[in-house]
Amino acid sequence: MEPDAKASYVLSNLAEVVERILAFLPIKSLLQAACVCRLWRESSRRILRTQQSVAWVSAVESGPANTHALVRVLEEEIEKIQVLPQTVFYIADAETFSGHEESHSHGQKKARRRNSKETAVTLERLLPERCQVLGIVAPGIVVTPTGSHSSRPLEIEDGEAGFALLFPKIDGVKIQTFHLHKDAKSRATDEDQFAEAGLKNNPDLRVVLLFGYNTWKSGATRFLHQIVNRLNEKSIVLAGGHVDSFTSLTSENNTEAAQSCGVVGLAFSGPQIQSAAVLLDQDVVDERTAEAAMQRLKAAGIPEYNSLGFMFACVGRGYQHYKTKRNLEADAFRKFFPNVPLFGFFGHGEIGCDRIVTGNFILRECNNIKDDLRKCNYIKDDLLHGYTTVMTLIHLGSAKANQT
Amino acid sequence: MSLSERNTVVFAYESSVHSTNVLLSLDEQRKHDLFCDITILVEDQRFRAHRSVLAACSSYFRSRIVGQLEPDLIIILPEEVALKGFEPLLRFAYTSKLILDKDNIAEVCKCAEFLGVQDIEESCFQFLKFKFLDHKLGRREYQQKKCCKSRCQKEEHKIDVADDSHLETDDVNEILQNECMLKTYKSEKNSDVSLLQDSTNPTFESESGGGQGVDFASLCPKYRKYQKALGSDKSPTVESNSSIKEVQVTSAASVHQIESYTSGATQKSLEHTAVPLDAKCEDAQVEMEEDGKEEFLKQMASVFQSTECSAEKPVSFPPHNSSAATDGLYPTVFLNTRDQYCDMTLSGMQSNTEGTEKVTEKNSIVTVTGNCKPISESSDESLTLKSHLFDRENINDTSPSNRSSVEREVAEHLAKGFWSDIYNTDATCQISLSPASDQVYSEKKSECPWLGIRISDSPEHCSQRTFTTLSSVNCPFISNLSTGNSTEISSGDCVQEQPQEQCAHSCVISLEEDSETDTEGDSESCSAREQECEVKLPFDAQKIISLSRNDFQSCLKMHKLTPEQLDCIHDIRRRSKNRIAAQRCRKRKLDCIQNLESEIEKLQSEKESLLKEKDHILSTLSETKQNLTGLCQQVCKEAALSHEQIQILAKYSTSDCPLSFLIPEKEQPAPSDVMSAVPLCIELSKDLRVELPAGQSSSYRHVKSSCDAGYTKAQELCPVPIRISEKTVCLEQRVQSSGGITDFCQQMTDKCTTE
Repeated sequence: MEPDAKASYVLSNLAEVVERILAFLPIKSLLQAACVCRLWRESSRRILRTQQSVAWVSAVESGPANTHALVRVLEEEIEKIQVLPQTVFYIADAETFSGHEESHSHGQKKARRRNSKETAVTLERLLPERCQVLGIVAPGIVVTPTGSHSSRPLEIEDGEAGFALLFPKIDGVKIQTFHLHKDAKSRATDEDQFAEAGLKNNPDLRVVLLFGYNTWKSGATRFLHQIVNRLNEKSIVLAGGHVDSFTSLTSENNTEAAQSCGVVGLAFSGPQIQSAAVLLDQDVVDERTAEAAMQRLKAAGIPEYNSLGFMFACVGRGYQHYKTKRNLEADAFRKFFPNVPLFGFFGHGEIGCDRIVTGNFILRECNNIKDDLRKCNYIKDDLLHGYTTVMTLIHLGSAKANQT
Repeated sequence: MSLSERNTVVFAYESSVHSTNVLLSLDEQRKHDLFCDITILVEDQRFRAHRSVLAACSSYFRSRIVGQLEPDLIIILPEEVALKGFEPLLRFAYTSKLILDKDNIAEVCKCAEFLGVQDIEESCFQFLKFKFLDHKLGRREYQQKKCCKSRCQKEEHKIDVADDSHLETDDVNEILQNECMLKTYKSEKNSDVSLLQDSTNPTFESESGGGQGVDFASLCPKYRKYQKALGSDKSPTVESNSSIKEVQVTSAASVHQIESYTSGATQKSLEHTAVPLDAKCEDAQVEMEEDGKEEFLKQMASVFQSTECSAEKPVSFPPHNSSAATDGLYPTVFLNTRDQYCDMTLSGMQSNTEGTEKVTEKNSIVTVTGNCKPISESSDESLTLKSHLFDRENINDTSPSNRSSVEREVAEHLAKGFWSDIYNTDATCQISLSPASDQVYSEKKSECPWLGIRISDSPEHCSQRTFTTLSSVNCPFISNLSTGNSTEISSGDCVQEQPQEQCAHSCVISLEEDSETDTEGDSESCSAREQECEVKLPFDAQKIISLSRNDFQSCLKMHKLTPEQLDCIHDIRRRSKNRIAAQRCRKRKLDCIQNLESEIEKLQSEKESLLKEKDHILSTLSETKQNLTGLCQQVCKEAALSHEQIQILAKYSTSDCPLSFLIPEKEQPAPSDVMSAVPLCIELSKDLRVELPAGQSSSYRHVKSSCDAGYTKAQELCPVPIRISEKTVCLEQRVQSSGGITDFCQQMTDKCTTE
């Protein structure tokens, strides 16, 4: 029993050794290990605090039929990830996420919706209890495979796919989910919601990812304009698109809200966040022009480590648009940002414009007449587009350069 | 915060809107022309502004405004600053918003670079350039740029440098402003001059013939003029020309010796040379005239008409330009020179030539007709302005009139002004640059973003450009200067920037602290460490720690830091101070312990010696007792005392007295060791009468008085016991004293052990 005694001595006394060892553990095991003793608890607490890089889980091919590929992958990967997710943002392809029942057992429309809810619930159950979850479904998915930052992002326009971004608690960055939906009531509640979501009175707000759902309904456009224009007054990067529906939002359990139109989104605030967005317009039709747009994004000078790329494209784009060249935009992105993972979707319309926001300055368009320069401050540029792609780069601060 | 800092609590009120409001009201003032004290002329358009605002925003203006004391300053910007580019920048200076669109972005970018406008980040231009390059739609897009607090390292660095030395400011500013254009120009000129000097006449001519397109384009118009003169009128002028050249060379060389090599303040040197050149021009003219080259002048009348004007223009133009540019060092001198030369050239031209020769007078009248005269009559202030205008007029005059290619070129260059000629060709060159090279250029820029995009790139770029235009030039100055400057700047910057890039220092510190602290306190230290890693520091941690308090404060003031950084820095400083204090405390304690240990040693040795003494004393005591006992016995025997007598004796003697112990056996008195006492004692015991008064010892008296009561009896019975008692007293005293010593020793040891 001599060596055991030695080992137990080391493991119960030397914090450095324990910390080193525990650092290899995935988060679940780490949390279990934290229950062993005080020393271990302290060590794991320290490790937890150092894990500040965003992790992601992605499903790129369909698996067994009984559940969505993303659920399955998440189930596996959640055991391996090393961050404690505080905010989870997932996108899955609409067809399989809400409709795989249909494709296999030909269920009714109502069954589909309930089913998507069920899938979402299963997914949420895999995640820690207190984390915010925002899930949306869209017709197509852009995803970087799990693991390396530098693996090639894939545009999956149809077929089972999905990804989940797991944001840990990052020092100096606050990520909030929000949900605003069209309501018959007065706008007072709206104001409250704005404030609650950190979209108001929040000088550190830098990026808002905005996703409209059920935007085909009447009055949705006006509603969307209201929100977008309000947000556009601020010095933030606004990006997003229109999606089929949102499936998860832990704070919400309002079926009525899900039925009417509205927006869900993520608000990133924190002085260290830098972001830039470019819009690939309809005239971006081939590799050269797409790369030119990426070059523009590159010229914005956003740091590439600890950054995420988002790509919100139109369903009309993709390989059809580029003369059956697949994955063109994602490849163009990768060419200029080889170490930035790219996520996104193909949706029904995009929100965004060319803009740079850093701590020092913002660069934005203003569409007013030249002579009246004093009013140009808050002249909105057009943010709602169709048949475009919005590429966004978000740098989450320089805390830990966790490059691989 | 240290304790002392905590004790003196100071509250700081900070308004977040103040800066914007100040700027707004300044803008209002500008619009209403309130307190404006500077006029800027760009492409014939006047802009009123405040000196301080311009100087705060642009290093170019700063260097030009410094030392200017006139109540209303007029600055004419060189031609590379276009109206389209300048206006948005001026607005930016007052509103912190820059309006960019497709039309003006190139100009704005160029002007921003030229003027050294702070807080405009290059990435913006890059971004937009790509955007406008890509978008063929031609949508009207106005970019608005808002810069809030990007007063970053660059600016600070500049200020630092500026504070450091005037020379360096000159360097930086010059590089920023007129960049290496001047340098190329200068060096080129020099090389050319030397070349010309060395070359023989025919080669010279051939060069002048062949190289006019390129080489003389870069030369100052005077050269061109002489070249022209050469071209048209050969043999006589060549001599004068060469002589002129020699003079020029020497002067230029001397000027160079003085200036250009030391600090690269080529602008100054250029100015210097320009001034001598002017002088020489005139000299040369005078020379020529004196030489009797009247025919030549007449011949040249038509050519001269254009070239003379050109000669005048540079004369007035360059000094004005450079004098304004070479900030506060010699402003007055140069202004003087400028004025002087303006006078000399414009008004004085006539008089000068008048004074020398009639023909020249004629000529000058011919040349200066219409244009010069009104100017020469006009006031000094408007002189520069007018001369500028005059240039333009000249252009108009000359360019249509002269048809030959050479002449047109001359005119073109005249139009471009003194050195902007290269610039314009650059512009064309830039346009002709392929997008690929543009990309390369941009990449290069982005590669060294903090080198000061405006500082290092522009010379680089310019040198590139100049090489393209002036292919024959091999100018060591440019490369040297540009690289040297950039390295200088980078080395200056490195101190501030590198930590930011790598954050190595803070990491080191944090590691140290981590190893120092124990598991209990780790939770805090860990967060601190993260913070440190996270917060980039503009200078290294060692500096934070090592600086004195005042220096530290000033250092903090110098760098504009975010609250995070401030916290972090204070944290680092506090920790290090704590560490130092703890070290000191530890050292003090160790010293104290050492002192005490040595004291203990000392005391122990003392104790030992005392113990030895005690032993010795005890042994002597026991000896004495034995002797005493023997004596007692002897005395008793001799006195043949009865048992009762002995008892009485014992009664009156102290308990220490051996007599009392000897009572059962046989009583024995008598000390032996105290020699003086013993015989006496025996004596006394023998005759019993003479007794006590004879005992001289004071102790005896003392005993006697104390034993008063039984004295008489004892006297009668036996005087010996009294003696004995006296002895014992004496002994007792000794014993007591030895006891005291032991007590002291005891005390000491106690003390030692407790310590």
